[in-house]
Amino acid sequence: MNRSLKFVIGACLLVVAIGYLMAAGLQTSSTYYFTIAEFLPRQHELGEQPVRLAGRVHEGSLRKQTSAKGTEMTFTVGDFQGPGHETAPGQVPVAYTGVVPDMFAEGRDVIIEGKLVNGTLMAQSVMTSCPSKYEAKPGEGGPDAAQQEAQR
Amino acid sequence: MLELGPLALNLALVLAVYAIVISLAGVWRARRDFVASGEHAALAVWGCVVVAAAMLLHALVIHDFRIEYVAAYSSSTLPLYYAVAALWGGQKGSLLFWLLILSSISAVVLLQNRDKNRELMPWVTATLMTVSAFFLLLLNFITPPFELLAVPAKEGRDLNPLLQNYWMTIHPPSLYMGFVGMSVPFAFAIASLATGRLGDVWIRTTRRWTLFAWFFLSLGNLFGALWAYEVLGWGGYWAWDPVENAAFMPWLTGTAYLHSVMIQEKKNMLKVWNMVLVILTFALTIFGTFLTRSGVISSVHSFTQSGLGPFFLIFLAIVLTIAIGLLIWRLPLLRSENELDSLLSRESAFLFNNLLFVGIAFAVFWGTMFPVISEWVRGVKITVGPPFFNKVNAPLGLAVLFLMGVGPVIAWRRATWAHLKKSFLWPVGLGAVAGVVALVWSRNYWAVVAFSLIAFVLATIVAEFWRGMRARQVMMGESAPLALWRLTAKNRRRYGGYVIHLAIVMIFLAITGTSLFRLEKQVTLNPGERFAIGEYTLQYNGLEDRDTPHVAYLMANIGVFRGDAQIDTLRPEKRFYKKPEQPTTEVAIRSSLGTDLYLVLGSYDEETHMATILAYVNPLIGFLYWGGITLAIGTAIVIWPAPVAAREPAYAAGRAEEGAKS
Repeated sequence: MNRSLKFVIGACLLVVAIGYLMAAGLQTSSTYYFTIAEFLPRQHELGEQPVRLAGRVHEGSLRKQTSAKGTEMTFTVGDFQGPGHETAPGQVPVAYTGVVPDMFAEGRDVIIEGKLVNGTLMAQSVMTSCPSKYEAKPGEGGPDAAQQEAQR
Repeated sequence: MLELGPLALNLALVLAVYAIVISLAGVWRARRDFVASGEHAALAVWGCVVVAAAMLLHALVIHDFRIEYVAAYSSSTLPLYYAVAALWGGQKGSLLFWLLILSSISAVVLLQNRDKNRELMPWVTATLMTVSAFFLLLLNFITPPFELLAVPAKEGRDLNPLLQNYWMTIHPPSLYMGFVGMSVPFAFAIASLATGRLGDVWIRTTRRWTLFAWFFLSLGNLFGALWAYEVLGWGGYWAWDPVENAAFMPWLTGTAYLHSVMIQEKKNMLKVWNMVLVILTFALTIFGTFLTRSGVISSVHSFTQSGLGPFFLIFLAIVLTIAIGLLIWRLPLLRSENELDSLLSRESAFLFNNLLFVGIAFAVFWGTMFPVISEWVRGVKITVGPPFFNKVNAPLGLAVLFLMGVGPVIAWRRATWAHLKKSFLWPVGLGAVAGVVALVWSRNYWAVVAFSLIAFVLATIVAEFWRGMRARQVMMGESAPLALWRLTAKNRRRYGGYVIHLAIVMIFLAITGTSLFRLEKQVTLNPGERFAIGEYTLQYNGLEDRDTPHVAYLMANIGVFRGDAQIDTLRPEKRFYKKPEQPTTEVAIRSSLGTDLYLVLGSYDEETHMATILAYVNPLIGFLYWGGITLAIGTAIVIWPAPVAAREPAYAAGRAEEGAKS
């Protein structure tokens, strides 16, 4: 009994250690995740906390300028369900300097990490959907897809 | 011709269901002919699936754009080997490919056991066919791969350019082999629970299969890391993305199982635990598939919402209910026959190794599912990023590394002080030296711990080989190389295992180097400008282009200097595939002595030719490749069939045990 008690104590210590590591890890690296529609009503209470936002880049909103500082870009991001594009209400302006993934383009779904400063999301990173799982949705996969849709 | 594929899938579903029913009826009525019929049906399922897969492959190769899948994932200019890879490039094809592997493995298992394990086999057939039937249900009713377009397409949409890479031809197949291979130990575990034959027959029968699956799972994870490294262009190889975690979790529990199973073989302990690990590993392979296909976790990998999620979840629930139910029912028969003696013993090292592996798996699971969990609990989605996984797993991983040095050497039952001193004096000494060197050289405490543990484990492995070799030299009068060869050949499991440990040490070395000492720089330059990173100076010379019918290339010409001497020219590129009209990034890598200089053309201005270059120096990353190769060698040593003479006793013992029970 005494022997197995030692093991129980050892195992418990290990479990506590793992639990502690996880709790500490969660505190330092958790980020709120919102879609644009979820984010807009809460943006004031969140202040300048870091967030991850999922949305779609508005058509016609992308501006780029390359200088020695890098490529500075601004665009607006709206909700996936948004019917229109540029004029859809509820959009978040984004400013980002750096390199974007190859899949990044107007009309694409993105996940942006950053924080809201004076109404503009200062992005730390911009991600797009994973290539291996990316399957062009109807009308989104270039001219061929559009053509096939038309033929259906 | 076009109807043959769907027909084969229909027939396979009917046969699989028949195989389940008749096998169980064979058990119930004790009818050997029923059981045999079930096995024949399972072999027929394999035949049908081969036909279906061959039909889809044929359609891909001849560019039959009447089929929706072919039009969506290939094109007439796609090279042949990528047309073959398109078989697993999309959802529907990959499910068919999965089933192809599963039914092939099932067929091999049934043929292997024609004259063995007769009591277990009907249950094995039924279990494997249940899994097959699930995939056949999906392929027949939810994601039919042979679905036709209303109007045939003139041209295909082509395989995603990022998948047109040689890793794509080997990464998914090896991962699938690993996932699917885990069904074999699971099926035998279920069979032994169902029949109550809970000796270690099922474990010995499936030992090679488990290793086979584990090997491919390891390679699949490594290939995936290398693919990400060479293709995705962010300088790293592992991002703790849900998709990666999905493949990593069964690897962790599978590795735990491979270790704890030795305790059951040697000591008849941990029987329940082993059952739990096998069930968990199998469940995690299904869960991983669920994660990657359901869209439940919104991640960078925004999965296609295919509606498959609920089916996987239901299947998973059924699997777990049955497996856990059986396990609880048999609990009284699974009592351990021995007890742990001392904390300082090999048993205890194995036990803690297991707890650590499962702990890591749990932490990975928790982090991956945290958005879902936090939404349930607090109504807000909270994601955790790589820092969480690194913070939790770095100490746990190092603890595993430590036990990897201790476990194989420490005595069974109870280690004495004298024995500890004899076994560990040198390794601990070397570890301490490495730690001091790391401290002086880097002043980084993580590096001190990591390098001293790496040196410690390395020393224990070398010492084991050394001791064995010396003993043979003295006893048999053999030369050193011969003694080393015979030593390994005669104890394949043990020394092959050490080689695998060596591979893991190498991988730890690569992880340590890249996570602690990686350099990273992002600069935007005009042609002719220079910048420095680490020991290198890089000069951007301007853009070059090249055109082919399938792809157009744009390259940045970058001269690599060390001091004033130019040592190389690298050309990171952007590729513009013509068909989906999508650019992709192609990195340029210069490897020397295990350290990579890794360049990415981030963006460029077409008028001014100003370009943004991302440069990384990844120290020791070469050990990721070497680790992979060593892992393959080690597994080959372990898995290689022993000469018949050496195998006989174990085999006979198995027979004797079977005889005693029946």
